[in-house]
Amino acid sequence: MISKPWRERLTYSAMSAFVAWHTVAMAIAPAPDDGVAVQSLRVLFQPYLSLFRLDNLWDFFAPSVGKGSQLRYIIEDSAGEQHTFVPAENLSWYHPSYFWFRSWYYAIIETPETYVDSAAAIFCREHASLHPVAITLLGVEEGDFAPDDQLSGKHPMDPEFVTVNTLKRVKCPGS
Amino acid sequence: MTIARFTGNMLCALAGAWSRLWFQNSPTSPLELARMGIGAALLLHYVLATPFLFVFWGETGWMPSDLVLKDHDPWIQSVFFYFAAPWQGIAFHALFLLCCAGFMVGWRTSWVKWVVLIGQISYDYRNPVLPYGVDKIVASLLFIMCVAPIGRAMSLDRVRAVRATKLKNLEATLPPYSSPWAGACTRLMQIQMALLFFYSAISKLRGDDWWSGDAVWIVFTTGEHYNPLVLNVLASQYWLVNVATYGTILIEIAYPFLIWQRPTRPYLLAAAVFLHLQFAILMGLFYFSFVMVMGQMSFVRPEWLARLGEAWKRKVGEMEMIYDGKCGYCVRSMAWFLAFDGLQQISVRDFRRNPSAVVSDAKMEKALHLVLPDGRALPGFEAYRYCVLRVPGLWWQVPFFYIPVFSRLFGHAIYHWIAANRGRLSSLRLGPARAMLK
Repeated sequence: MISKPWRERLTYSAMSAFVAWHTVAMAIAPAPDDGVAVQSLRVLFQPYLSLFRLDNLWDFFAPSVGKGSQLRYIIEDSAGEQHTFVPAENLSWYHPSYFWFRSWYYAIIETPETYVDSAAAIFCREHASLHPVAITLLGVEEGDFAPDDQLSGKHPMDPEFVTVNTLKRVKCPGS
Repeated sequence: MTIARFTGNMLCALAGAWSRLWFQNSPTSPLELARMGIGAALLLHYVLATPFLFVFWGETGWMPSDLVLKDHDPWIQSVFFYFAAPWQGIAFHALFLLCCAGFMVGWRTSWVKWVVLIGQISYDYRNPVLPYGVDKIVASLLFIMCVAPIGRAMSLDRVRAVRATKLKNLEATLPPYSSPWAGACTRLMQIQMALLFFYSAISKLRGDDWWSGDAVWIVFTTGEHYNPLVLNVLASQYWLVNVATYGTILIEIAYPFLIWQRPTRPYLLAAAVFLHLQFAILMGLFYFSFVMVMGQMSFVRPEWLARLGEAWKRKVGEMEMIYDGKCGYCVRSMAWFLAFDGLQQISVRDFRRNPSAVVSDAKMEKALHLVLPDGRALPGFEAYRYCVLRVPGLWWQVPFFYIPVFSRLFGHAIYHWIAANRGRLSSLRLGPARAMLK
């Protein structure tokens, strides 16, 4: 049985150890990895940071804001007609799915080899009423858009400001 | 001997400073504000996620688990990795939503907070493409709240504890909770917020967009945050872009250094709240901005809240509830009612033992009465109706008591029925109240 003063000392030590540990963890998680000290501390802290989802960089819109991108797809129906869709156009700012769907679209554009096939299958299913035969996914990269462009009534997604890349053409399942 | 004494004194001074930094006896109220806000935000966020459960986090969606588990770090865990059938995901989602609600109102906080943390981490790791800044912030703040003794104030747990005390003696009070560990956890959350601002500013300083003063323009031209109205204003008054860009960095860099000082803290808090209001209104980052503002609550001094409470009490004035101490049902109801009165605005009087000079015993036989600061006495339903608007802990009842026409129409009828049958209701379940009646 531990006496009360010792129990208090042990509790105090444990609390001190935890706050020190967690503070270091919070500080090194976003720290740049170029120093030896940070690298060695990272080895020690990584399991803790990963398990409790504390491994964050806090680099909102930084170092550069980056250009946006937009996913589009063209569905070819059995009659050979093409239908273009911009899925992000149907999303609402006020619903969290706005960011979830956009994240998914970014993932498709950034790593098409991983996500294009599953996305194509989902989009083909979504437009089953068109009897789709094939789908072509496009990544639209936004370019520079100046204040004068805005004042002259142009839009950042106008063809002169964007670059369209074909990600992949996929046959719709069951077509 | 001198060196030994010097070392000893230095260690003592260090230990004292360490204790003052971390372990000051503090209430949990700043953390409770964060708990309520983050709980409400999480509940709304994940309720809205329900229709997309299988699309984003299910096997039939666009992120099957084998895609996530490829080159998987064993320390990255999600309960969703272990679900084999869709019903398991649905059941967990339902449990998670219930726990978010429990977390928000502070019900069984000691364990629901862990379910909320596990849930948040699980959703994030099950589909690592979805989370953005706010999800990371929520996980970091939730972890601190999990180790903190939250739920001891502004919560249903506190209500239950006060009610248990009141059932023994309606006039008894339960002292507010405070502990050195609550102080340490509040400090951890403050450090988390300060570090977040610091690294956010530092990372911006490494980018040309921010140095050139054009970052805010670029943000609003991207499809994700495109806002034609804002862009029109910014395009015609481009200096606003520079002010907003440099202002953002200035606030973010000043925050971690000036938030600690007593005189500058209110200004930094106001600046940070203003900044995040802009993010919400102009960029549509409602969830992110709200969670960030809730994180700032850790810097709200408990004495500010105490002063606010005192000012509210002074404004409303003291109220006296006169009840029938021989009626077990009335005593139990009063214990519940008073348990929500965290500011202790209402005093009580048992007219059987201590008759009132304002309300006659004959009137008291019919209904309880509330005596207002100006000497007026409101009976029954009107007494409750008056209180719910003036006692912050009862504000959640305002919608029931203030529906035009309906509240009074049904409220009076229900109250009169209960008052007329209080003898019968008292015999239903006396429990601890029986002891008081003896």
